[in-house]
Amino acid sequence: MITAKIQGLLFLLFLILLWQVLYILGTGVFKWWKPYALPSPRGVLLSLQKLIQNGTLIHATTCSIRRALSGFFLALLIGSVFGLIISASSFFKRNLKPLFTGIQSLPSICWVPFAILWFGLGEASILFVIVIGSVFSVSLAIENAIQTIPPIYLKAARTMGASRIQLYTSVIIPAALPGFLAGLKQSWSFSWRALMSGEVISAYVGLGYTLMAGRDMADINQVTAVMLVIIAVGMIVDKLVFSNLERHVLKKRGLA
Amino acid sequence: MPLEIKNVSRLFEGSKKETLKNISFTVNDGEFICIAGPSGCGKSTLLNIIAGLDRPTGGKLCLNGTEITGPGADRVVMFQEHALYPWLNVIENVKFGMKLAGLSKNEQEARAERYLKMVRLWDFRNYRIHEISGGMRQRTALARSLCLDSPLLLMDEPFSALDKQTINKLRSDLECIWEETGKTVLFVTHSVEEAVFLADRIVVLSDHPGCVKEIFSVDLPRPRVIDSAEFLAIRHKILSCVEREVEKVAEKEYDYR
Ligand SMILES: Nc1ncnc2c1ncn2[C@@H]1O[C@H](COP(=O)(O)OP(=O)(O)OP(=O)(O)O)[C@@H](O)[C@H]1O
Ligand SMILES: [Mg+2]
Repeated sequence: MITAKIQGLLFLLFLILLWQVLYILGTGVFKWWKPYALPSPRGVLLSLQKLIQNGTLIHATTCSIRRALSGFFLALLIGSVFGLIISASSFFKRNLKPLFTGIQSLPSICWVPFAILWFGLGEASILFVIVIGSVFSVSLAIENAIQTIPPIYLKAARTMGASRIQLYTSVIIPAALPGFLAGLKQSWSFSWRALMSGEVISAYVGLGYTLMAGRDMADINQVTAVMLVIIAVGMIVDKLVFSNLERHVLKKRGLA
Repeated sequence: MPLEIKNVSRLFEGSKKETLKNISFTVNDGEFICIAGPSGCGKSTLLNIIAGLDRPTGGKLCLNGTEITGPGADRVVMFQEHALYPWLNVIENVKFGMKLAGLSKNEQEARAERYLKMVRLWDFRNYRIHEISGGMRQRTALARSLCLDSPLLLMDEPFSALDKQTINKLRSDLECIWEETGKTVLFVTHSVEEAVFLADRIVVLSDHPGCVKEIFSVDLPRPRVIDSAEFLAIRHKILSCVEREVEKVAEKEYDYR
């Protein structure tokens, strides 16, 4: 366990070293790139330090996480309703599910024009982009989780006299939980990505905005620094919230 | 509550021959019926149809005069696979059906205790399903289906994963419960000995298509003694009937090669 962690750390260190070497070769020795077009580990670190010291980074990160979480929970609510509808009716399964799968593949940036037209520039439009960017994924996660419940669970409950509602509350929902949690991880990453699309366009604070500010100042190091923070936050939420939840549920059922 | 099975057939999509063909027999109130036959002859399929989980493609079934169109708590099934819920522990699984039926907490507790003690799992009541053995799972499922006290009990090889001693004990327990409650039991089994021990009548199915080959009445007094001469005689008679079927299956499979 500990050696695995050290290994991971060493690998990361190696990547950074490789990056530094490439930077020196690319901008100094061979002059493939202009120095301002390629971020360097040192530059990114300095940029990070600056952003932390002037408070921008903390503020932007908390702001972005707050938005992403509220959007995600809204999507969870709406998506669950649609997911249950799709899995309950063969008509919607046939007609709505392929549509949802199609819309899900649409990059969320495509929704930004609508968001601005309908909600103006500001929080509401960002929320809209997050919700629309992940709601279909939540629906499909629910549908898929219900679809993969072993039929014997339902048969047993029906022979014990379960009504349709009891079937949902006592069997379908608890049985679908592990599959649903696995699907939610993906929905979360969709939310997080959609948030960036939203913030790049219409925010005055947030990680997406800070990234764009870096672009406007032609500061490639700041752009990279923010990108790394975006990756880190996405991963941390995934690990801290979803992986832990999933492991807990699986362990309780002897599946992990 | 007589169960009438009239000309029931089942043809699965994609297969040429019917799995069940023209099955007809009547199960009288309070009768203990065993169904025997070679593996794959359609015993589970028939039980599923009686449970209302599957529909026959021909013929019909009536329980108490009304046609069976769906599952219900008057026909609890103990499945061949255990069908317990991994998110519940042993006693919660046993109470599952009683909860659905809206029984009082005290009643649930009392019945769960009685049947869990009967299957000797009371000490394991707080274990999760993945923490108990295959045989213990079967016993939990047995307790769960008995708790519901349904007038018709459908059991699909309920004792197949258990050791001889446990089987013997549970057989007598089941016989006691059956005599006490007067319920009707349909019991699928591989073991002819088990069928002769338990059944009032034994329905032997033939394979491909699954038809009723013969119905034997067992008139021995209860509790039956497995090594008595009468027991062995009737066991021998039925065994040769079943074995002829099994041999037929084996020959057919040999021909394919
Ligand atoms: N859903 C299904 N679709 C197609 N064929 C099926 C289906 N269910 C069962 N069968 C076929 O019907 C036949 C009978 O199956 P069934 O499970 O009823 O046998 P069984 O008598 O209970 O056997 P065993 O003693 O091994 O449990 C088998 O040949 C099986 O392949
Ligand atoms: Mg079977």
